[in-house]
Amino acid sequence: MNLLTIVLMALITFTTRYLFIHPSVPLRLGPKMVKLLSFSAPAVLTAIWVPIIFIQEQELVISPTNPYILGATVAIVFAAKGKSIYLSVGMSMLVFVALKFIFLG
Amino acid sequence: MAMKGFLDMLPLSLAVIPWGILCGSLAIQRDFTPLEALFMPILVFAGSAQLVAIELMANNVPLATILFTTFIISSRHFLYGLALRDKLKILPLPWRLSLGFLLTDELFALSGTAKSLKGKLRLVYALSASLSFYLFWLAWNFVGIIAGTYLPDLTTLGLDFAIAVTFIALVIPNISNFPALVTVIVAGVLSIIFKLLNWELGLVISAIIAMLAGYITLRVMDEGQLKILKILKVKRK
Repeated sequence: MNLLTIVLMALITFTTRYLFIHPSVPLRLGPKMVKLLSFSAPAVLTAIWVPIIFIQEQELVISPTNPYILGATVAIVFAAKGKSIYLSVGMSMLVFVALKFIFLG
Repeated sequence: MAMKGFLDMLPLSLAVIPWGILCGSLAIQRDFTPLEALFMPILVFAGSAQLVAIELMANNVPLATILFTTFIISSRHFLYGLALRDKLKILPLPWRLSLGFLLTDELFALSGTAKSLKGKLRLVYALSASLSFYLFWLAWNFVGIIAGTYLPDLTTLGLDFAIAVTFIALVIPNISNFPALVTVIVAGVLSIIFKLLNWELGLVISAIIAMLAGYITLRVMDEGQLKILKILKVKRK
């Protein structure tokens, strides 16, 4: 039963990924649509990361002692200064783990 | 180029270690057989959909509900397919099927530039990036399946932070103009509101509204520039 569910789920995730790159799907993208879609990457990725940072246990946590916010701020500063992804992620993880440790301990 | 794809994806492949281990161990903790737990990442290959579906299946939720939830969570991929359509639809079937199957948030994040996926070398780059990500994802899930019940409840340890900052590191350097900034701010604010309202569809809706906001900003700015140019021309006469 579980296996059948998994196979059906796989069909759904594959379809959502593949459908619009299939050539015979009757759809032509005009220049306006292409321009609109050029904003899709920052839009979707931001809609994924922002709730992780600001919402914990279904509640908005905006406080100066929230390790998520402080860690994310470090990542934003490093990324904005054009540092490598490793440095941005590494430094913010370091700050995050240290703060969690401090505030928990 | 294959090596570069692997290396560019590596931070993302590593950032999903917690997620992958969590998916694997949660499946075992919710009484999936190891085989079922392994088929999840092999076939479904989607972090958030896997996690939610495992919980739903463990609670004996009706099949239709599980599939509908999977569809909602996965629906953001329609946007990726649309955005990459003109580049990918012209490729031979094996390329389309493989890159289509491997079209994750992470591959899309690496395919944002105008040149991406154009020409054989860039396709090899994308394939190596996404395939290595797939193999890493399987490996992390496998670790979770093996560790299984020995692991504590990983959901409360703040492991989602890694993927969030990875996305920050990918998005922030690409905010190169005002419309992009508007897009990011609108997406951020709306995604918080929808998440608090507990809408599964919130992610896609906030993304679409944010895209429209960015696009409209761009149009308004273009028109503003045209007006200024006209005024300048008039003055020159």
